[in-house]
Amino acid sequence: MATRTQFENSNEVGVFSKLTNSYCLIAVGGSENFYSAFEAELGDVIPMAHTTIAGNRIIGRMTAGNRRGLLVPTQTTDQELMHIRNSLPDSVQIKRVEETLSALGNVICCNDYVALVHPDIERETEEIIADTLGVEVFRQTIAGNVLVGSYCALSNQGGLVHPQTSVQDQEELSSLLQVPIVAGTVNRGSSVVGAGIVVNDWLAVAGLDTTAPELSVLESIFKLQDNQPNAINTNLRDTLIETYS
Amino acid sequence: MQLSWKDISTVPNANDLLDIVLNRTQRKTPTVIRPGYKITRIRSFYMRKVKFTAEGFNEKLDDILSGFPKVDELHPFHRDLMDTLYEKNHYKVSLAAVSRAKSLIEQVSRDYVRLLKFGQSLFQCKQLKRAALGRMATIAKKLKDPLTYLEQVRQHLGRLPSIDPNTRTIVICGYPNVGKSSFLRSVTKADVEVQPYAFTTKSLYVGHFDYKYLRFQAIDTPGILDRPVEDMNNIEMQSIYAIAHLRSTVMYFMDISEQCGFSVEAQVKLFNSIKPLFANKSVMIVFNKSDIIKIEDLSPERQELIKSITSQTGVDVAEISCQDTENVMATRNKACEKLLSARIEQKLKGVGKSNNVLNKIHVSTPQARDDVERKPYIPEAVQYLKKFDLDDPERRRLARDVEAENGGAGVYNINLKDNYLLDDDDWKNDVMPEILNGRNVYDFLDADIIEKLKALEEEEERLEKEGFYDSDSEIEDEEAEEIREKATWIRDKQKKMIHDARTRKSIKNRAIMPRSKQVKNYGDMEKHLASLGHDTTALANRKRSLRGSGYDERGADVVMDESGPSKKRKTPLKQGDKRNAGITDEVARAKAEKLAKIQRRDRNREARKGEGDRHQPVSLSKHLVSGKRGIGKTDFR
Repeated sequence: MATRTQFENSNEVGVFSKLTNSYCLIAVGGSENFYSAFEAELGDVIPMAHTTIAGNRIIGRMTAGNRRGLLVPTQTTDQELMHIRNSLPDSVQIKRVEETLSALGNVICCNDYVALVHPDIERETEEIIADTLGVEVFRQTIAGNVLVGSYCALSNQGGLVHPQTSVQDQEELSSLLQVPIVAGTVNRGSSVVGAGIVVNDWLAVAGLDTTAPELSVLESIFKLQDNQPNAINTNLRDTLIETYS
Repeated sequence: MQLSWKDISTVPNANDLLDIVLNRTQRKTPTVIRPGYKITRIRSFYMRKVKFTAEGFNEKLDDILSGFPKVDELHPFHRDLMDTLYEKNHYKVSLAAVSRAKSLIEQVSRDYVRLLKFGQSLFQCKQLKRAALGRMATIAKKLKDPLTYLEQVRQHLGRLPSIDPNTRTIVICGYPNVGKSSFLRSVTKADVEVQPYAFTTKSLYVGHFDYKYLRFQAIDTPGILDRPVEDMNNIEMQSIYAIAHLRSTVMYFMDISEQCGFSVEAQVKLFNSIKPLFANKSVMIVFNKSDIIKIEDLSPERQELIKSITSQTGVDVAEISCQDTENVMATRNKACEKLLSARIEQKLKGVGKSNNVLNKIHVSTPQARDDVERKPYIPEAVQYLKKFDLDDPERRRLARDVEAENGGAGVYNINLKDNYLLDDDDWKNDVMPEILNGRNVYDFLDADIIEKLKALEEEEERLEKEGFYDSDSEIEDEEAEEIREKATWIRDKQKKMIHDARTRKSIKNRAIMPRSKQVKNYGDMEKHLASLGHDTTALANRKRSLRGSGYDERGADVVMDESGPSKKRKTPLKQGDKRNAGITDEVARAKAEKLAKIQRRDRNREARKGEGDRHQPVSLSKHLVSGKRGIGKTDFR
């Protein structure tokens, strides 16, 4: 299922929320509309929590996590950490990471098995990522961008990367991540795909500006509602060529 | 590129234009002038009027000129469309007339301002102004016809459908009354008039629809009759231009039931005569009104005739019925598909562009790098989750509903603790102190903290016992001792220097004892010189020899000291009493004081201001000294 929503007139859904296979974090906003957009799709399948990180609402960019764990930056206050701990099931490990690149969501891009990280991340952090999230860690760039978390949206079933990523890079990334990869845009041509959408294995939420072709690419690459990635180069091919050139 | 011209500002007619501009001049320039004024002032008064009027015209005409599209810069489709609708030459001539009027008015303004510079009297200046404004008005009045025409064009342009010549387009054409408009109605939301007579549609109509997530525009054209292009009227020409200029799929509609009043032969003939326009375009022939008659039911000759056009390369055929909406969507999709494939073929030819898109249609599938299976993790509950439907009264209650019930956003405050997953739900809202006895409570949250502390202490003890912390043997030798001493000395010296510098600074603004007055005795000097390493024996000898003879005072010393050589003055010079200045003795002084008293008496009695009283002259207040004057200038304000 892929849906569109907006956080207080911003299309950058991935900035204000964090969605994984076992929990969902939502920023504290002025109203409950954004929270309810997720709630309507998720029901009570996974726990959801309002939270802030270091008093900020940009929780999606500050945290990194998957089914097994959650990493929060060093600026997170004790109260916030406690709140998250109470809201998430005990099976999820929560760890505060002492890392100078504190926007963990921007520098880490992970699913339940693999993680791509910023090339300059500290060795200790790398170990913490591997231990807490239970993933293999690779230092990578995406289309020359070091902020892998911003330019890649990843689930266990597929990945969407920066629109300028070359075909060779895609191949390399896909063999690292072991999921199908396609380049694309979200939110009517935005290239920050990681910040523009959130995705897990059965749900993708994109900004309200996302066009129909973009949304159908999302559904195909993330195998939502029985769509298959090969639809992109068969059924959707004409549409995509028409929209992108 | 601009596709619609809905926001051109209204074009006033010539009289209105005149009224607007002259009215504005009257309102926005000064109106009172008198013959007594300086001639330069009178001249500038009238020059201002002339210039202002010219500017007003200029502004208005400029608005008109910039608002209208320039025919030569348009897409060929729009250019030809405007040509047929508004007669390109007429349009251009009108705009040119406006532009010429603009420059003429400027010219008039320039000329008369020049003349006004030599105006000799108020009357002369006034007449010159009248003449200038009169000539401008004449020029403006001559614009009567162009302005009315342009206003009409503006109104029509605003109502033209916005057709994008470069986007995905489907053009629907054919004889009048064959069902083109009903097709557009059935595939789009466009509300096109459908009537059972020919030429119901007199201009282009546009409808939009989505196919394969893409937006298409369908253009309904007026019917065409089979005659040479030169004989065609404006209505038909619009269709011809739409077919000729738009990169599109052309759907040629035919009515084989002949209810439209045109025979099948005529329709086939029309197809053949406009066929040259279909070059580089995909063509579909659509047989409408299939609910009345199908191709199979036609006579063999006619079938043969139809076959002659349908068998041409690149021509597709469809039979539809807009009445029964039979086959309509399938035909639409077929047309779209044809258009898409043609466009994509063309797009992929351009190498530079297609590279940009290739990675977006390329899905890289992973090569297995190990035999670990990476399965998606989708909880069971997802399958049984009921789809959320806003119209369902039994739908799940969302946080938004709760918020709405409790006063809406900004009023209702959510309880963040409601969703806590704790062992006991009663614990959820328990208050927990953040700081207790000056310590951060969260630092002590660990359940095993006691054990951990104990383990640490034990380790510490063990280490202590093992002598881990015992300092290593004394290794301080003499060298180290020396270094330490030197270091202390250096530190002391530094402190002293700092202190000296500070005292030097602090003395900055105070009285300083001059060097010459400082008492220095010989012993100090000798000691100091000795410390610096000088030999002082010569100095001691000299001192001894001086002691007998004494010191000869010379020069300044002699002049400054009145009391004689070698004697210093202890008290300052005696100064005379200032009160006695100019008075010889006590008697004279008493007399003078008496006189002064007498002089003051009168003044003091009346409490008048005297020469000794403090007097502050009044400063000029702005509001009292500026403003309109009876005569003269007021400019300095």
